[in-house]
Amino acid sequence: MNDMSFTERAVANTETKITARGVQVYYGENHAIKDVDVDILDKTVTAFIGPSGCGKSTFLRCLNRMNDTIDIARIEGEILLDGEDIYDKRVDPVQLRAKVGMVFQKPNPFPKSIYDNVAYGPKIHGLTRSRAELEEVVESALRKAALWNEVKDRLHAPGTGLSGGQQQRLCIARAIATSPEVLLMDEPCSALDPIATAQVEELIDELRANFSVVIVTHSMQQAARVSQKTAFFHLGHLVEYDDTDKIFTNPSDPRTESYITGRIG
Amino acid sequence: MSDASPNTARPVSRSLHHVDARTKRRNAAETRFKALGIGAIAVGITFLVILLSTIFMNGASAFEQSFLRVPVHLDAAKLDKKGNRDPADLKKATTFTYAPLIQQGLLDAVQKAGIETPLTKSGDMKNLISSSAAAQLRDRVLANPDLVGQTVTAEILASSRVDGYLKGRVKRDQVAQDKNISVEQLDLADALLKAGILHKSFNWDFIFGADASDSRAEQAGIGIAMLGSFYMMLVVLVLSLPIGVAASIYLEEFAPKNRFTDLIEVNISNLAAVPSIVFGILGLAIFIQFAHLPQSAPLVGGLVLTLMTLPTIIISTRAALKAVPPSIRDAALGVGASKMQAVFHHVLPLAMPGILTGTIIGLAQALGETAPLLLIGMVGFIATNTPDGFWDGFVSPNSAMPAQIYEWAKRADPAFYERAWGGIIILLVFLLGMNIIAVVLRRKFERRW
Repeated sequence: MNDMSFTERAVANTETKITARGVQVYYGENHAIKDVDVDILDKTVTAFIGPSGCGKSTFLRCLNRMNDTIDIARIEGEILLDGEDIYDKRVDPVQLRAKVGMVFQKPNPFPKSIYDNVAYGPKIHGLTRSRAELEEVVESALRKAALWNEVKDRLHAPGTGLSGGQQQRLCIARAIATSPEVLLMDEPCSALDPIATAQVEELIDELRANFSVVIVTHSMQQAARVSQKTAFFHLGHLVEYDDTDKIFTNPSDPRTESYITGRIG
Repeated sequence: MSDASPNTARPVSRSLHHVDARTKRRNAAETRFKALGIGAIAVGITFLVILLSTIFMNGASAFEQSFLRVPVHLDAAKLDKKGNRDPADLKKATTFTYAPLIQQGLLDAVQKAGIETPLTKSGDMKNLISSSAAAQLRDRVLANPDLVGQTVTAEILASSRVDGYLKGRVKRDQVAQDKNISVEQLDLADALLKAGILHKSFNWDFIFGADASDSRAEQAGIGIAMLGSFYMMLVVLVLSLPIGVAASIYLEEFAPKNRFTDLIEVNISNLAAVPSIVFGILGLAIFIQFAHLPQSAPLVGGLVLTLMTLPTIIISTRAALKAVPPSIRDAALGVGASKMQAVFHHVLPLAMPGILTGTIIGLAQALGETAPLLLIGMVGFIATNTPDGFWDGFVSPNSAMPAQIYEWAKRADPAFYERAWGGIIILLVFLLGMNIIAVVLRRKFERRW
């Protein structure tokens, strides 16, 4: 994929999926996210970039309340998914996470068969009524994750036996099997080799047709390749959020420019 | 920044073929440490070999017992005076009626074999025969009244002195002061051995039988105590595994981390180090004196051992849960599993090998525990019969294998000495079996991630 191909893929959608207003995150005494406002669009790939420790992963984990599992984390502000506050008392994080799927930095398939990995989400959410239907869901998720052709003959082999890139695509299949509306990806390619990375990036571009994808990445080239919108985080602040081509060609904040030209970070 | 400043002085380069003093010292230290380690292992193995061979040499003889093969005439005139074979009447004939019949049978056998001996009265045979023999013969007759009037060939248990003589425990020069046996009787035993009347055979009664009183070492067995141990282990397993695993899962996965849970954690670690006799006295106070559960019952023993085993199981289960990579929890939560689903579907199966190993180690500890049983009365000559049915086994008074071994070891008659060692062999076989089960289960459940 050409690094400078982003101009051809302008944002096609302007419908807001997630709205964040005045989000603050504290880890104990540490103020990790400072007053972040952002609108994430539907059917768009949004990239979060920034130096290590800038809070991009922390903010991503706020979007499906994965920070709930950290005892000392405290979140203030408002995050709306389709206009509903996800930190409302009535919201069960379990239902939220079925809607907002997540793919992690390191491929983490369950130590079960490939089929069971993908079928787990639909099973626990009761999305299918019959075995045949479940099999269909598994196949379609694996197809969407561009893994079907490689694993269709060994669906009952352990998922941990796949290569790193295949494992990560299996994790993506697992995440999309529950038909989420938003897919969060926390540096999904950082543990992969360049070929596997290219496959996953291609996949992300295809997933855009159905989901709103938010991806955290260390690689600015990757952000430029796959995303339509880019947010630059620095020291817990959201410094700049704009169309990807604007950020990479004509950033308005001097810190963004310093980062993308390699002077900081 | 050494690479950035090429002009600074570098140490004089020395040949790699020359080992400098510092390297020599480090290598010497490493060699010393390795030698020390090998020495430590060698000492350990030596002691293990000494221990096992001592146990085996002392205990192996308990698995053999001396018997007299004697034709006994079951005289109808003495055993069944009314002649109607009524079981109620047959019961009236006590072991005192049977003992002379056996003695007469042995005397007849001696004379028939043509053995020359100064012992010519049937009463002289008494010390050769176990005092249990009459009771065993009586049981046989009561089970089958048709035998009365016939001459049956019986395997009569030899007395513990004769048994000890055959095994080399009783020496000729020691019997001068022994009123239970005389030199003439030992001579007769030698002759009987030659004639094939006295023989040694495998001692099933030791493995399956009950303990016997102080004067009947030849009849004592560990079987009933084994049942007691079995019932205790059942109680321990059924209580400590679910309670221990549930407590660990809650503490590890759900409980908030605060001072209170820290306190609980410290106390669990401390409990694991509490001497077992303390648990015994706790069991005595709570289960017997307060809750009025029956004394000497495997149920109470099991409860006490459960208290003792819980910390072991909780500590190992928590370690096993901690060892499951957090990415698995993230993965499960990420697809929308609830915390409980994440734990039960993904974390627990991965922690299973560790949990099972910890549980079996805890059970093995409990199986070998003696001290707490002393305090709740599960020691001594308690049970002579198998319990009536499965449930009775939990409440009827019984002992346990280690307590039985302790009981034998403290008895005065040296004939019990070999029984104690033999009991240890059986206990070790059980422990070995449990460890093998642990290894097998570990292999079966082990998965990679």
